[in-house]
Amino acid sequence: MNLLPFVASGIGLGGIYALASVGLVILYRASGTLNFAFGAFGALSAFLAWDLSNNGGVPPPIAWLFGIAASTGLAYAYGRIVAPRMAHRDRVVRAVATLGLALIILGALAWYYGVGIARRIPLPTDRDFIVLFGVRISATRLVALGIALLMAVGVGLLLSRTRIGLAMRALASDRKISATIGIQVTRIDSFAWLVNGAFAGIAGILLANLNRLDPPFLTFLVIPAIASAILGRLSSLPGAFIGGMAAGMIEAVLTGVPEVSHFRSAGPYVAALLFLTVVGTGQGVGARE
Amino acid sequence: MTELGKTGAYPVAVGTSLGGALFIPRNVAIVVVVSAVTALIALTAGGFWLSNFTQAYCIVLALLGCALLYGQLGLVSLCQWALVGAGGWVALRVYHSFHPPFVVTILAGGVGASVIGMLWGLPALRMRGLYLALVTLMLAGAFQVLISVTSFPVGGPGFLGQVGMSGNDRVMMARPIFASSDTAYFLFVGFMVMLAIFLVETHRRSKPGRAWALIRKNEQMAMASGVHIVFYKAWAFALSGFLAGVAGALMAGLFGQLDDSAFAPTDSITIFIGTLLGGTGVWLGPFLGGILTRFIPALLIDYNVNSYVGLLFFGMALTHALTQAPEGLGGQLTALAERLYEKFKRRRTS
Repeated sequence: MNLLPFVASGIGLGGIYALASVGLVILYRASGTLNFAFGAFGALSAFLAWDLSNNGGVPPPIAWLFGIAASTGLAYAYGRIVAPRMAHRDRVVRAVATLGLALIILGALAWYYGVGIARRIPLPTDRDFIVLFGVRISATRLVALGIALLMAVGVGLLLSRTRIGLAMRALASDRKISATIGIQVTRIDSFAWLVNGAFAGIAGILLANLNRLDPPFLTFLVIPAIASAILGRLSSLPGAFIGGMAAGMIEAVLTGVPEVSHFRSAGPYVAALLFLTVVGTGQGVGARE
Repeated sequence: MTELGKTGAYPVAVGTSLGGALFIPRNVAIVVVVSAVTALIALTAGGFWLSNFTQAYCIVLALLGCALLYGQLGLVSLCQWALVGAGGWVALRVYHSFHPPFVVTILAGGVGASVIGMLWGLPALRMRGLYLALVTLMLAGAFQVLISVTSFPVGGPGFLGQVGMSGNDRVMMARPIFASSDTAYFLFVGFMVMLAIFLVETHRRSKPGRAWALIRKNEQMAMASGVHIVFYKAWAFALSGFLAGVAGALMAGLFGQLDDSAFAPTDSITIFIGTLLGGTGVWLGPFLGGILTRFIPALLIDYNVNSYVGLLFFGMALTHALTQAPEGLGGQLTALAERLYEKFKRRRTS
């Protein structure tokens, strides 16, 4: 049986999962907060972009930028205002707190825009495609993969080459000592939130194009994204990227196997569970609770 | 807790025997409050509201398990509602195969979910904190996919018990003879809630409770003082799963069947949020938290408001609980009751 078409469709989904899991890992490494509101930020960005260009008459590119700016701004505000007040609580509690934010955003979006309506964000790249090994791949999927790669590399460079990246790495290894040697913890934390919000905004718009624009669906993007981040042990950026691509591929390829295609969306979860059980959490960030 | 349970000539501290003396204020309060709330609901509510309060009581049962794991061991379980589904599946399966008495069905659901909970818990025994929360969330996600493919048994042939597309030959699970009316069934579930609260309280105040407290404080220390960590952790998972399974069986009894779209990971998350809203320090917390978890959505349905407004409410309540009221609603109310009681006592003595 030919699974190549499914691999092709997995490229887009994998790209989005990779983008999401890299976004999650960046924030988790620097601030120790796993952001359950990641998908909700994405949903916010996608809905604003869709609303502005569809009902507000704003040119699409500006609407997209506006959506991404909104999710980035909201993430920054949370990182600046709420997160510091939770900093002394343990990691689970901080993660659960972002769940509260996720529910607020989801509730508001679902209330205002409705749920279960067939909508998606059209992108100009939808009609272009390339043919690879006899399989048609839409340009949007390649764009998703390209953006994911670019942003992951960009963030990698940011971490390794810049002053703020150095501070982020310092926070990842020890927050107390970093604070003692004069790193402004709150500032770096909120910068990490900002990056997280931007990743969420882009991932949300892409997913709203490739799949559908629906508040619960986009909000729960965060669950497979966390599964992918676990494949990168919540700490390694290349690991998170590969984990995301793998999760997207697994889900897409399973669609093509009739025996298990119903179970396909469990693919990322099962992979993450196996990974945790077999490989364990290791000596990574998770070990220091 | 000033009373000392006395067995023969040997004074035994509260908690060493099964919960110590029987007529201590806490036990009296449990009976009085649960009976009063249950009686009030049974007398006033009907139809829509009675069904919702019965569901709320099932949620209380599940939430007691979640609160046990979080309150005693600091473990965050995000798959409690999935375990309710698992228990409901086992109960329906057992019912359609053997048609046993209702209580046996409930126990089967409880034991089934308890075994599954323990199996789920075993790999998680090495994990704590965030990772456990994530593993359980993944399990809840996987369960949803599994249950939407297999569905709940409806009396058909084979292991899965499906009846095909038409659904005309669906067999409903019967309620017990002594509780076939809606009100009687609600009272029955209320009685189960009371038993469950006593079950958890007994555990908390006796040997397992002390073992859990020690494990939570410091695992190395617990091991050094001879606490079997794996056993007591597994016990906590089993007990929590048992409560969830009983809740699932009671849900199945309420509706006669279960809907596979009603077991999304979101619901498990809501259960955990309800746990935090109610608080885990006192038994009143899970009781109120569970009722609230169903009451708010039901209120919105009753007033024809979009059900997603409920999420908005829960999100804000969660943020409030985490930042301002870590002891939860139950903790706050208990503290208030204790203050009033002290005042009352002082006035009487002076």
